[in-house]
Amino acid sequence: MPAVLAARGFTDVRITERFDCFTGTRKERTAHRYGVLV
Amino acid sequence: MPALCSVGLDTSRLAGEVRAMYTRVADNPGGDYHFHRGPDYAVSVLGYGRASLDSLPYGVTSRFAGVGNPLAIAPVLPGARVVDVGGGGGTDLLLAARQVGPSGRVIGVDMTGEMLELVRAGADRLYLTNVVAIEGDATSLPVESEWADVVISNGVLNLVPDKDRALAEMWRVLVPGGRMQFADILLREGLSEDERSDIDLWTG
Repeated sequence: MPAVLAARGFTDVRITERFDCFTGTRKERTAHRYGVLV
Repeated sequence: MPALCSVGLDTSRLAGEVRAMYTRVADNPGGDYHFHRGPDYAVSVLGYGRASLDSLPYGVTSRFAGVGNPLAIAPVLPGARVVDVGGGGGTDLLLAARQVGPSGRVIGVDMTGEMLELVRAGADRLYLTNVVAIEGDATSLPVESEWADVVISNGVLNLVPDKDRALAEMWRVLVPGGRMQFADILLREGLSEDERSDIDLWTG
């Protein structure tokens, strides 16, 4: 995603924080299976 | 990372299912969904301030379904113009409206009419006159070019097949030097063509 944003013209692209919004949901296993970045 | 959808994906059907899902959330926030919702989740998992959320109508915050905390990334200043793309029931939008104050403006764009009604009702309850809620699509924002100082969005791009188009729109509506602050779901690896064509993986 940072590369996609940079290609669009955005500068100073940063991931500032990560949250785990899937733990405890019924998509938790799917998220792990598809490599959701936490 | 590809920013376009699979050629096998029925994007109209996907848009319809996304709209239907969030209409259900608007009508019944306490229902059974595959994602967390509400103010307790926003506070305990995403770092929202309890006092800030308690100051908003529960009819708004109960529909919160974000995946991060865009407004925590950087302050939104008084007088700023903000666009919230896919803002749902308006939690982030109304928080931003408070931050920009009466000399600022906030526009919330969403594809779900029921959610927009919640935004308008919430703004009315809070006597906020700097809020506009417009029905629209992330890939064709009903906002003038170079209008916004800040674009925010929270858990939206993962539901948009044509991400490149959506990002182009966010870029278009920003003033030169403007800022995008968003939260979304990132994958470590790309998906196969079949996986990207599976609507169930997108929506439920």
